[in-house]
Amino acid sequence: MLPISNRRHAIRAALATLLLFLASTAAHAIPAYARQTGAACADCHAGSYGPALTPYGMRFKLNGYTDTDGKGHKIPLSMQLIESHSAPARGDSSTQLSEGDLYLAGRLTDQVGGYVKIEADHTGHNTYNTRLSNIDLRFVAKELKVHGKEALFGVSVNNSPGFTDPVGTLPAFSTLVRAGVTGTLLNPSSPNSLANRVIGASVYGLYDSNWYGEVGTYRSLPTSQQDHLGYNVAGDPGRLSDTGYVRLAYMKDMKRQFFSAGVVGLTTKRQLPRSGPSDDLTDLGYDLSYQYLGNREHIVQVAYVNILERRDYGSAPVIGGVQARDHGNVHDQTASVTYTFRQSYGLSVSHMKSTGSNDVARYGPSGSPDTTSNLLTVFWTPFGRDDSYTSIANLKLAANWFRFTRFNGRGDDIFFAPPGARPTNAGDLNAFFVTASLAF
Amino acid sequence: MLNPIVRQSLRLAAMALLASGGALASPLARAGDAKAGADVFKSECAECHAVKEGRNKKGPSLFGIVGRKAGSVTDYDYSDALKQSPWTWTPQQLHTYLSQPAKIANPGTKMKYDGLTDATQLDDLISYLDTLH
Repeated sequence: MLPISNRRHAIRAALATLLLFLASTAAHAIPAYARQTGAACADCHAGSYGPALTPYGMRFKLNGYTDTDGKGHKIPLSMQLIESHSAPARGDSSTQLSEGDLYLAGRLTDQVGGYVKIEADHTGHNTYNTRLSNIDLRFVAKELKVHGKEALFGVSVNNSPGFTDPVGTLPAFSTLVRAGVTGTLLNPSSPNSLANRVIGASVYGLYDSNWYGEVGTYRSLPTSQQDHLGYNVAGDPGRLSDTGYVRLAYMKDMKRQFFSAGVVGLTTKRQLPRSGPSDDLTDLGYDLSYQYLGNREHIVQVAYVNILERRDYGSAPVIGGVQARDHGNVHDQTASVTYTFRQSYGLSVSHMKSTGSNDVARYGPSGSPDTTSNLLTVFWTPFGRDDSYTSIANLKLAANWFRFTRFNGRGDDIFFAPPGARPTNAGDLNAFFVTASLAF
Repeated sequence: MLNPIVRQSLRLAAMALLASGGALASPLARAGDAKAGADVFKSECAECHAVKEGRNKKGPSLFGIVGRKAGSVTDYDYSDALKQSPWTWTPQQLHTYLSQPAKIANPGTKMKYDGLTDATQLDDLISYLDTLH
């Protein structure tokens, strides 16, 4: 029997991750960049509304958000509003202005640019929680020569390992989060994740237009600062030390097609709680992506990410009378396919799978943290193209079906309901939601 | 026996035929397919150049590009290399410029382009650019 406290924790985790998922549907479409460059939203984002980047969008990011049409400075501000209607399989439907975002995004000089998102999320009863979301401030040295080949070097100060990546397949940048009871460090939807609660710096380089490398280090913000920035301290990632991030990717832009293959690593020693013993955590992963762009009439984007986390726990406590294991692993995988017609109509299918080694003390009576979910999205973006009414602002209407097939390693009675109580099945976490997003 | 006038006419016709054959063999003179060129434009150029008059992206508007003097869009900040070039964007000049990396064709240019080596696509593209008036 799962201890009551663990069961409550599991339910809280499930709801929190689902809410986080709903919140994360916010895209990174930044009309301020479109005004700065004269480019259309569709030049950087296949569906004219982020976050998935085209090769051109990747180059803009690599250039430190500094590209311009040369017509002086533009106001580097944008806003996004998201109205959503959610209909969970179990529970009440609701409609609300679920998110409002302010972006400070643009170039300062030819070498300095950035991205800062301040996000207000609906938390119920007409109240909103405002928090500092992603930041990515860059200095970049462009058009260098190394061994006769073009090269670019940059420095980024940011608050989420992986967000800086140009390919955009890693969990920190993708909207595809894996809701589950646990997850890898690189996954921003994992409990006590690093995303936005750390600060760090990375240096990156692009060699011969194809080879990308990045190394960085991070430290967690004090809990008082997390609180000031709009984060509940219960989600503290803990005290981090010896934290290193490394990324290497090969990217090939063939104008009508693009592919990439990369590896990523993140390692840290974590004390959670901060006065507790230190866990050694190491993520190693790889990702593959392909884009068919053609003449932009039909665009297909395919991505696969596979991240394995090795955990050596600093202690093996007895929880609910069961001895916890002193080591374990977690394995996150995501596969996604998106088809976009005329840069306006899209269909996206994603499969997300998170598995982990068995540990009854840490994960409850099933002993398994395994979660499997799918997301199906259809969307329409009427603007944001060169030939639309406006190319520098957009609306996105999307219908999303989010479906769980496994949670806590089970399909049925995932929280081990006591006798007489109604069990919760994985399918009870399913949700249908419609969003209308406006970016300007 | 053909009379001299007929023989002269046949000689001129043969010369014209040879001349036209020679012209067909030259990539410069091939009439491209502007419709196919529009697709080439979307793949190769559209991220940095708009076709709408007065709309600049990272590169200047290509409205009216064929026949325009290089570096002459008034509200675009060209590189010195292009501002000082004596070129006029004739189909032949565009062919020369676009068939090789921009940094070789015009050292000092801001344009980042590796060149279009497919001769058919290049002809199609230039034919399309010629429709932008």
